[in-house]
Amino acid sequence: MKWEPLGKIFDPTEHALPHGCREFAQSPQVLVCDDRVRIYFSTRSVDAGGKFLSHVAYVDMQKDLCRILCVCDHTVIPLGALGCFDEHGIFPMNVLRVGDLVFGYTCGWNRRVSVSVDTAIGLAISRDGGATFQRIGDGPVLAASLHEPCLVGDGFVKLIGGMFHMWYIFGTGWKRYAADSPPDRTYKIGHAVSADGFAWTKEEARQIVADRLGPEESQALPTVVEIDGRHHMFFCYRQSFDFRSNAARGYRIGHAWSDDLRNWIRDDDNPRLETSPGQWDSDMQCYPHAFECDGQIYLLHNGNQFGRFGFGLSRLQM
Amino acid sequence: MFTWQKLGRVFSPQQVTDRPWLKEFAQAPATLLLDDVVRVYFSCRPPADAGGQYVSRSAFVDLDRRDLLKVRAVSDQPILGLGGLGEFDEFGTYPVSVIPANGRLRAYYAGWTRCESVPFNTAIGCAVSDDGGITFHKLGRGPVLSYSPDEPFVLSGPKVRRFGDRYQLFYIAGRKWKLVDGRAEPVYKIRLATSVDGLHWEKIGRDLIESRVEADEAQASPDVFQCNGKYHMFYCYRYSSGFRSREFGYRIGYASSIDLLHWTRDDAKAGIDVSFEGWDSEMVSYPHVFEVDGSIYMAYLGNQVGRYGFGLARLNGTLE
Repeated sequence: MKWEPLGKIFDPTEHALPHGCREFAQSPQVLVCDDRVRIYFSTRSVDAGGKFLSHVAYVDMQKDLCRILCVCDHTVIPLGALGCFDEHGIFPMNVLRVGDLVFGYTCGWNRRVSVSVDTAIGLAISRDGGATFQRIGDGPVLAASLHEPCLVGDGFVKLIGGMFHMWYIFGTGWKRYAADSPPDRTYKIGHAVSADGFAWTKEEARQIVADRLGPEESQALPTVVEIDGRHHMFFCYRQSFDFRSNAARGYRIGHAWSDDLRNWIRDDDNPRLETSPGQWDSDMQCYPHAFECDGQIYLLHNGNQFGRFGFGLSRLQM
Repeated sequence: MFTWQKLGRVFSPQQVTDRPWLKEFAQAPATLLLDDVVRVYFSCRPPADAGGQYVSRSAFVDLDRRDLLKVRAVSDQPILGLGGLGEFDEFGTYPVSVIPANGRLRAYYAGWTRCESVPFNTAIGCAVSDDGGITFHKLGRGPVLSYSPDEPFVLSGPKVRRFGDRYQLFYIAGRKWKLVDGRAEPVYKIRLATSVDGLHWEKIGRDLIESRVEADEAQASPDVFQCNGKYHMFYCYRYSSGFRSREFGYRIGYASSIDLLHWTRDDAKAGIDVSFEGWDSEMVSYPHVFEVDGSIYMAYLGNQVGRYGFGLARLNGTLE
């Protein structure tokens, strides 16, 4: 298998976005419709204190993913209330059709004092085809637990054989790597199941994908797609420290496959996402989202600077 | 109405001078009955830091079983460590509730973290003791009871019980943060979860006690005692604003139930209120009811939510 790069397909700085957002289109995630592909992403505004707030927006594209139909200019889901888990951002939101509804699994961000943030996973439901979402409650459906002490987020949900499966990340801890740097976190990919999409049972701190970089590898944003009867997971991984501007330590796309949804074989090289120096994603490749549309398997991902200038697309060649 | 005879304050943290982590406060008393002593777990604080911020620690005082006004010992060290960087209990463990389970003592406690937009958040952790309740080690670095769609934040005040073949965890869950004079104050309600093993909890998912003084009434310290075929709950409640005053501060309420799920609130029956003067003249709060050698007692906090310690009252008659 091989990814054929189709280049960057959306640049947030070229469009008017809700909430006065100008940059960032992170973690693209699709809702495939009859006449279009809706791509949700998280963009950023800046609050009065100069800190970022992540908001969900979307762009509708033709099904060939070559032409933009429209960019949403309204609030897709407001941020959480004072003191709630998603008060300071929703990034990312994973969408899933369930009958006439669209479930949106949000990763909510809230700011802390000793460390920068914590996260948890919420559920919001759309009854208008994905234009707007309403939370099922102010709190999360998946949060920290006995052996997952922090940073539960990045939920990706699929219905397989009548069961909801969620792949997500959980923090294994915070660490200060240098006296003059703020604490950094490490997270790994985990798995939970649910009969209804609301009440989840975690495997509780079982890391399902092996490390390539060792214990301080951070793994993020799992996405799972079926190719020829086999489950393929894509995710991004990096070093836990000095990863923001050091390309050698920054995000790259990882891959694993499974036939039983329990044991995952890591194999980053097949298919491998190539890039070349000077490209929009040459310093960093992150936040992958794999999906099928009209018989083709695609991968959306962000490039340099965590998606500050948008996302690109690749097509799978078998 | 029940009749409680106030016995006065039995423990004041200011009496202890050689433990820097036990400078002020003796909050949320909860007992463990031992052969010779009644061990009262409570939460205390070292002096505030340069920013005026407190960390809560938990400890115990042993009271003479034959004379509960006599302090026999005070713990040499906090019973629980604080959590690591970024963990739910990094900035405090308060309150604590201890129960024997599988031949060991198990503690349920609220862990405190600090947030940017609101002052704190809490979730409930679990720890076990292998030395008879002098120290506890945590079962994990995360909480056993955490946030859910209808319990978005501030899970605190655990009181663990075992009635029948399940464990019950009475606790509070935050409903909203209310801005009062520019300061975020939490509104919380009394909730229940049950469990077979004490580790995997099923939340009942509704308020046990209807709000009385106002919709945003805050309710805390749900303490359940079984007696005469009924479950008796004492708790405390306050207004959502102005609650640092005598007029709107904590009072002790009462409710009863025959099935643990449906409760009839009857605060007039509680029978304990603020004193005309003295250490509990402005507020009474964080009740804990326990029985020792045929007598029923209530431990409770006085002014400033236990800054100067806790006291005892003895029930005249019975709970029915």
